[in-house]
Amino acid sequence: MSGRTGSRLGDAMSYLFMLVMFVFFAGPLTYLLSMALRDKREVYRGAARYIPDNPTIQNFITVLNNSYFPIYLWNGLKLAALSGFGVLIVALPAAYAFSRFQFRGKGLSMMGLLLFQMISPLVIMVPLYRYMNRLGLLDTHFAVVMVYVALGVPLATWLLKSTVDGIPRSLDEAAMIDGCNRFSVFWRIILPLSAPGIASVFIITVIAGWSQFLVPFLLLTKNDLMPIGVGIFNFRGMQTDSSIQLLAAACLISVVPAIVAFLSLQRLILGAMTSGAVKG
Amino acid sequence: MSPIAIEADTPPQSRTFMRRFAGAPLPWIMPVIIVIGIFYLYPVIDVFRLSFTNATLIGENQQYTFGSISNALSSPQLPDILWATLIFVGGSVIGQQILGLAVAVTVIRGEKRGLFGTTILRTTALVAWVVPGIAGGIIWQMLFSEAPYGALNSILRLMHMPTVAWLSDPAMAPWSTLISNIWRGTAFSMVVMYAALKSIDPSLYEAAEVDGATASQQFFFVTLPQLRAAILVNMILITIQTVNTFDAIITLTGGGPGRATEVISLYVFNIVFRNYDLSGGSVLSVLMLIISLGLAFIYASFLPKEEEQ
Repeated sequence: MSGRTGSRLGDAMSYLFMLVMFVFFAGPLTYLLSMALRDKREVYRGAARYIPDNPTIQNFITVLNNSYFPIYLWNGLKLAALSGFGVLIVALPAAYAFSRFQFRGKGLSMMGLLLFQMISPLVIMVPLYRYMNRLGLLDTHFAVVMVYVALGVPLATWLLKSTVDGIPRSLDEAAMIDGCNRFSVFWRIILPLSAPGIASVFIITVIAGWSQFLVPFLLLTKNDLMPIGVGIFNFRGMQTDSSIQLLAAACLISVVPAIVAFLSLQRLILGAMTSGAVKG
Repeated sequence: MSPIAIEADTPPQSRTFMRRFAGAPLPWIMPVIIVIGIFYLYPVIDVFRLSFTNATLIGENQQYTFGSISNALSSPQLPDILWATLIFVGGSVIGQQILGLAVAVTVIRGEKRGLFGTTILRTTALVAWVVPGIAGGIIWQMLFSEAPYGALNSILRLMHMPTVAWLSDPAMAPWSTLISNIWRGTAFSMVVMYAALKSIDPSLYEAAEVDGATASQQFFFVTLPQLRAAILVNMILITIQTVNTFDAIITLTGGGPGRATEVISLYVFNIVFRNYDLSGGSVLSVLMLIISLGLAFIYASFLPKEEEQ
């Protein structure tokens, strides 16, 4: 077999594999869309009405009008965004220190951070629930945000450290010679130059917060405090087979913001993740 | 308050204090230490302590005892739960690793040869990854459902093939949850594998080509050995993610039929927050922790020793 037909064959196999994978990854989401656009009758046609005869946006209108959905969306956005800021406030100074200072136990504490990353939120939620209960913090967004922040900090510190590592030390030194102290180096040199890394860590944290189920499910009981993840879980419990198109619409509403946020910053996020993964 | 203002307004004495303060690493790391201490270290210690008690979620009276440990570990359900967990975690790790590697290799090959659709494939896989767990469970329930709207069975019916009891057959349900989890998780492995593949020195392939290695020989004797560290690190990360996953299963099967898909994390969740058995849940939490850490250490022991630069 000559090299050329060999690579032709390889191309054909690549295309075939890519097609199968595309159907596997995109299929479920397009089916969700298809369900969300159907009326009651067409739901029962299953995959035969993959493209509905009478597409309708009535389901979305119903969901957004007749339920707590706008509140769930707002709560989800608020909790996720606040946790993004919280993570940055906690992790940025540490990332700077881990990148620029030499001190005893540095490698060990970096590894320790990763160990905490391995602990399931489920494990820590048991005591935290009692703790928050005693402090009267159940049913507060503050408690939820603080737990989100804690969950996000280990990975964020690692990713931000590799961002700061990428800034030449000579810039710090030049600024110090010009009379900057550590704070102003951090504020005026490190922060602006880490902007891409900061943006990607922020968006990673926000998407993780948006997907959270366990923490708000346990710490919140009032319906008007619930974020989207719990909202959609409760909404699902109220639906039957005959209102599956409403559930599909609700589900799509909860999925789209995360996808949009991710797609708009995809390049940044992947950059931060891969540089973190390669450098370790 | 801007740091520059501090510099300008404060008397020299406190300026040297600020300088000394800022020059030590501890103040910079303090926020992380506090957050980790309060939200990770304290709860983990408390979980260990609680597993030696008979605490419940509602009562305040608790006594120290070994009873909870022996009860939880001798529970007749535990072997089934561990088996379901093994299938779910083992299958997810193998599936996501192999599929993630295959997609990454194909995407890189596609980019090199300018094939159409590589970016679309990469992006679609990543989109599945961003879908919240609860939503993922709902989506896959619509696909697996045996009601008329279930996508897979209605396709089978269109093709005049027998339908499958995706979620109601205890022998089938674990595979269904597995497929849905592979759908959500593969993108992560793909990103890690993609980055690792990119960092392989191209001259290795040139040398292999000169020696007349075929494509599959290049894959097995150049690519795989070079990826060893990345594969092991990836295995650690996805193992831990999968051991801890339960939101997708809650909406997809709720752990059923019977206990066929009740993995340990869902079991812990049910024991603590449905049965209010805090101590029993703590014992199993510790067990979960030991399982993830144990697997992590096993994988890590296969990692090549780090070379000092």
